[in-house]
Amino acid sequence: MDIKKVLNEATKEIEQSSNQLDLQNVKVAYLGKKGKITELLKSLKDLSLDEKKSTGAELNQLRGEVDNLIKSKFNQIKVEEINSKLRSESLDFSFPPPNSISPKVHPISKTFDEVITIFGSMGYSVAEGPDIETDYFNFSALNIPENHPAREMQDTFYIDDKDKDGKPFVLRTHTSPVQIRTLLNEKPPIKIIAPGRTYRCDSDSTHSPMFHQVEGLFINENANMGDLKGTLIEFCKQFFNVQDLKVRFRPSYFPFTEPSAEMDIAYEIVNNKIKLGQGDRWLEILGCGMVNPIVLENCNVDTKNFQGFAFGMGLDRITMLKYGLTDIRSFFSGNLNWIANNGFSIGDF
Amino acid sequence: MKFSYSWLCEHLETDKNATEIGDALTNIGLELENLSDYSSYLNFVVATIKDFKKHPNADRLNICKVDDGTNTYQVICGANNVKKGLKGIFAKEGMYIPGTQIHLKKGKIRGETSEGMLLSERELNLSDDHEGIIELSENFKNGTSAVEALKLDDPIFEIGITPNRGDCLSIRGVARDLSAKGIGKLKPLKYEKIKKLEFESPISWSIKNDDNSCEYVVSRYFKDVNNTKSPEWLQKKLISLGLRPINALVDITNFITVDLGRPLHVFDADKVGKKLDMRLANSNEKILALDNKDYTLDGSSTVIADSNNALAIAGIIGGDHSGCTENTKNVFLEVAIFNPNSVAKTGRSLGINSDARYRFERGLDKNMVLEGLEYASYLINKICGGSVSKNTDAGKLDTNEHKIKYDFNYFNKVIGLDLEPQIQVKILKDLEFQINERSDNECDVLVPSWRNDVKNNIDIVEEIIRIYGYDNINVSVPISSRDEIKKIENSLVNKKFKIISKLKKTLVSNGISEVITFSFHSNRAQEILTGDTSLKISNAISDDQSFMRNSMIFNHLESAELNFKKGIKNIQLFEIGPIYNSSQSQENILSLLISSQDDTNSIYKSVNFNFYSLTELASKLISSLNFDIKHFNISRSTSNIYHPGQSAEVHMGKKLIARYGKVHPLIMEEFPKLKNTYAIELFFENLPIESISRINSINISDSQFQFSEKDFSFIFEKEQNLYEVQRYVTGIDKNLIKNVEFFDLYESKDLGDSSKSVTFRVTIQSKEKTLEEKDLEQLHKNILEKVSNKFKAKIRT
Repeated sequence: MDIKKVLNEATKEIEQSSNQLDLQNVKVAYLGKKGKITELLKSLKDLSLDEKKSTGAELNQLRGEVDNLIKSKFNQIKVEEINSKLRSESLDFSFPPPNSISPKVHPISKTFDEVITIFGSMGYSVAEGPDIETDYFNFSALNIPENHPAREMQDTFYIDDKDKDGKPFVLRTHTSPVQIRTLLNEKPPIKIIAPGRTYRCDSDSTHSPMFHQVEGLFINENANMGDLKGTLIEFCKQFFNVQDLKVRFRPSYFPFTEPSAEMDIAYEIVNNKIKLGQGDRWLEILGCGMVNPIVLENCNVDTKNFQGFAFGMGLDRITMLKYGLTDIRSFFSGNLNWIANNGFSIGDF
Repeated sequence: MKFSYSWLCEHLETDKNATEIGDALTNIGLELENLSDYSSYLNFVVATIKDFKKHPNADRLNICKVDDGTNTYQVICGANNVKKGLKGIFAKEGMYIPGTQIHLKKGKIRGETSEGMLLSERELNLSDDHEGIIELSENFKNGTSAVEALKLDDPIFEIGITPNRGDCLSIRGVARDLSAKGIGKLKPLKYEKIKKLEFESPISWSIKNDDNSCEYVVSRYFKDVNNTKSPEWLQKKLISLGLRPINALVDITNFITVDLGRPLHVFDADKVGKKLDMRLANSNEKILALDNKDYTLDGSSTVIADSNNALAIAGIIGGDHSGCTENTKNVFLEVAIFNPNSVAKTGRSLGINSDARYRFERGLDKNMVLEGLEYASYLINKICGGSVSKNTDAGKLDTNEHKIKYDFNYFNKVIGLDLEPQIQVKILKDLEFQINERSDNECDVLVPSWRNDVKNNIDIVEEIIRIYGYDNINVSVPISSRDEIKKIENSLVNKKFKIISKLKKTLVSNGISEVITFSFHSNRAQEILTGDTSLKISNAISDDQSFMRNSMIFNHLESAELNFKKGIKNIQLFEIGPIYNSSQSQENILSLLISSQDDTNSIYKSVNFNFYSLTELASKLISSLNFDIKHFNISRSTSNIYHPGQSAEVHMGKKLIARYGKVHPLIMEEFPKLKNTYAIELFFENLPIESISRINSINISDSQFQFSEKDFSFIFEKEQNLYEVQRYVTGIDKNLIKNVEFFDLYESKDLGDSSKSVTFRVTIQSKEKTLEEKDLEQLHKNILEKVSNKFKAKIRT
C-alpha cells in the first residue's frame, strides 16, 4: 500500500477541482464511507498489532492532510465565487447624482426661534394679535390720533371692510397693537413679546409690503429705563453673539412711548463685510421707550402704581444684519435655491 | 431738515466744529442724517483757459490750453461755454471725479492728448447742472483750491426732525436746542423794527369760519415796493439748502420759514380785493395753486378769499393768481395761526406737501407771529423799499403759557437714576422752561411758547433726560422670576410656537423646504377660490397683491412655477402662516405643496408621488403632533382647492383638522407648466394644544409572544369608507388585534361600477400567551362574519 501515492493522487484531484461540487466528489472519493482512505483504514483490522500501530498512524496522518487540503481548497473556491459575484454586481459609482434642493428652514424662522428663546430666558412669554386690525388698536389707542403727523410716518394698507366705528380695517403697520390687546386682557405685571407679520405699502430692496416685527412690553411697579437698556443690550449680545458690544441709545419719538429712544449698534467694514459690535459707524436696530402713561390710561391701567417699557424691532432687518443678507424681497420670493443657500438645516434650527 | 454751519452760527455762538455739533444733535434727539464733507475737494483747483482751438477730428470738442498756476495742460473739452479767459475748476489726470465716480486717466480723445478735465457742477456732485463747465465770477488766483473758490468750506447738516419737534423745523430752533445742551450761546435776532408804520392798511381781515381752524391772522400792507432779485447773501442761503431763488418777496418768505420756522405769505395787493376772509371753502370750489396745479376743495378746508375768489389754501399753499412777481408794486403780508388738525386733514386729502403745511401740522410758536411779522417787514423794507402800513388783524392770539406741576421723584422712578432736583431744574432752565414755586419734591413749570409738545410730567422727564444724556442712564441686567417662568410654561401661545417648530422639523426632515410668502393673493386667486370680497385691500400695490389670502395655494403654485422655471423638477415646499376668512377671523395653518414634474433621469427615477403617498405624509404630520389620523373622521373634501375625486378632509368633531389632495384641475389651468401637484393643509390651531405637548410616555409594552398574520379580502360598496372598516375590525377584539393594514385595492368592470375589492392584513398577538390554532381560527371566522354583516360585504376568495 502506497500511502504516498494516495496522497499524491488526492492532492492532484483536489487541485483540479474548480467548484464546490467537484471538490465534494473528491472528498467522497477519499474520505466518504467507501472512500479510498476510509477503505484503507478499514483494512487495518487485518494487520498485526505492531503494523496496526505504525500504519494506523500513517493513515490517520494521511486522512488529516487530505481533509486539510480539501478544507483549504474549499475556502479558496468560496472566496473566488464571492469575488466573481461581486464583480458581476458592480455598478458605476461615478454616475453623478441629479441636482437636488436641500430642504431648509427659512432664516426668519430661525430668528423667531432665537428671539423667543432669548427673551424667554428673561421671563417674557409670547403673545399675539391679528394682522387685520382696527384703526383704534393700530393708531388711536397708541396715542396716534387721526391727522397726527406720525400717521404719515407709516404708509398704511386699508381693507374694504369697516369696523364697528365705521373705519376701514387696516393691516397692522407695527406689532404695537398687541400691547393694547394684552393690556386690556391681562392685569400687570405683564411681560410679553409679540412677534409677527406687519405691513406697509412700500416696496424696494430694503422695504417690503410685508415684513416681520417683534414687540416687547414689560409693565410692573417699577420697570425703568435702566432696565430697558439692560434688556435690549443683553438681547443684542446674545442674538448677534457679540459679547463686547458697543451700543448707543439716542432720543427719538414714538407717540406711544415717552421718553422714546432708538438703539444703534456700532459696526465697521472689514474686508468689504459688515462686522458688528465695534467701530465708529452706527446701525439702527430698534425703537423703544417707556410706555406713555396716556397709553396705559387708554387701557385702564393705574398709572400711579404701574409703569414700564416697550420696544419693537424689525426681525427681517436683524436677520439680514446677522447673516449679511442684502435684499429683503428675496425673503418672500419662494425661491427654493435661496432657501437652500440661506436657510438652516434641522440640526442648526 | 438741511442747514449750513455758517447759517447755524448766525444764531449760535459756538467754538465747536461741525463734527462735534453733529454728535450733539444726535444726542439730543435731532438725528444727524448726513454731514457733507468736502475735504477731498482740496485738490481741485482754479484754472484759466488761456487759449483754445477746434479739435481737428471732432466738431463739438475744443483743445484748450489750461493754466492751473503751476503748469499749462492740454485739455480736450466738450462744453459749449468754453472761451478764452474763462476761470473754472480743474482736475488733473489721476484724480477721482465724485460726480461720475471715475478716476481720470491721461489719454487721447480722437487722437489728441488730454491731460485733465474742466469740471461741471454735476461732476463735482454740487448740483444736477451739466449745461457747461463751472464759470467762476470772482477773480480767484489760478491754483486756488475749489473748496475756497466754491465756498465749500461751509459744511451742510441734514437732520431728521421727529413729528413732535415742530420747534426745531427752523435753524433758530435747532440753535436754541443746541444751546440748552451747552454747545453754545443763542444770539439775539438781528433786525430792526420798522420805525414808522405810516398808514392804515387798505385791506382788512375777517375770520368767518366757525371751526376754529384760524385762531388769529395779522397783516401789513407794503406800498411802492421794488420786487427785484434778492441780494446775493439771501440767494446763496437759499441755494445752500437746494432752494431756487425766485424774487425778493418770495425769497424772504422762504428764508423766514427756514430761519425762524414761521411760514408766512405775500399777496400781490393789487390782485386781491379789499376785504379778505378766512372761511371754509364752498364745495367744489376750485383754485389754481402756486405749484401750477388745479385743486378742487370741499367744505372742510379753510381758504383765504376775497369777495370773488379763493386766494390761498390756508396754511398750505398760495394761489397762482394772487402771487407776487417781479412786477408787484404793492404787497399784503399775511401771518396766521392755523389749527394743525385742519391743515393736516386738508393737506392730506389734497395730497399737497408744502413747507408751510409741514410746520403748521406740527404746531407753531405763537409768540413768533408778531416777531415773524416784524422780521419780514424789516427785510421787505430793506430790500424792496416802499412804506409800511400799521397792523391789521382778526381773531385773538392765545399766548397763555402751559403750566405743569412737576414731581422731581417721578424722574428717578421712570429713569432709574437719582438726579438731584437742582440738576433737573438747571436743565429745564437751559431749555427756557420757567420754574416757579419750587419745593423739595415738586415745582411749577411754565412751558415755553414753542414747545406745544410738552404737556405733562412725563414730557418734562423726557426733556431732562434728553439733555442729561441717555448714555448716563445706568444699565440694570434683567432676570426672570419664578412666576414669569411658570407663565411661559403655561402660555398657550408659547406652546403653539413649540408646535410650529416641531412641525417645521418634521417637514424639513421629510425633504420639504420652508418658504414665507406674502399674506396677499391676486384678483384671479380671489375669483377662483371665492373668498370674502370685503378682504380687498383698498390701496393695494398691484393686482397680484390685492386681497388678503384665504388660502396659500396660489402663492405656493406661483413659487412652484418660479422654481420650475429655474430648473427644479421636484418641488416640495411648505409655509406656516396666516390665512384670512374675514376681517375678524384669521388662522395660522400649515400649507404644503408637492409638485413632481416628468422625470427624465432613468437612473435616479423617483417613485411616482400620488394621492396615497400624500395620505401617508398627512398621517405622519398628524402623528408628529401625537395624534393618530385613524381616530379622526375622514371624508371626501368639498373644498374647491382640490380634485373632488382625489382629496380628503379630516375632522375632529366639527373642527377641520386637515385637508389634502390633488390640486383642482381648474386651478392648475392657471399654471400649465406644473404637473402632478398635491397639497396638504393642516389646521393645527384646531387641535387641542394641551394633548399635543406630550409629557409622559405612553405605557404600552410590546408583547413577548408570537404573532400571526391573516389576510382578508372583501367586496365592499364603492363609497365604503375604509377608515371605518379599519376602526371596526380593530374593535372586534381589542386585546388580540394589534394592527389592520390595507394593502390591495381592486376595482374593475367584472366587479361592477358600484363595488370595490379590498384586501387587508390583520396582525394578531396576545400579551399573555402564544395563541393556539383553534383560537386563531375562531377569531378569523369572527372577523369574516362580522365584517360581511356590518358592511354588507362579500367575502372574496
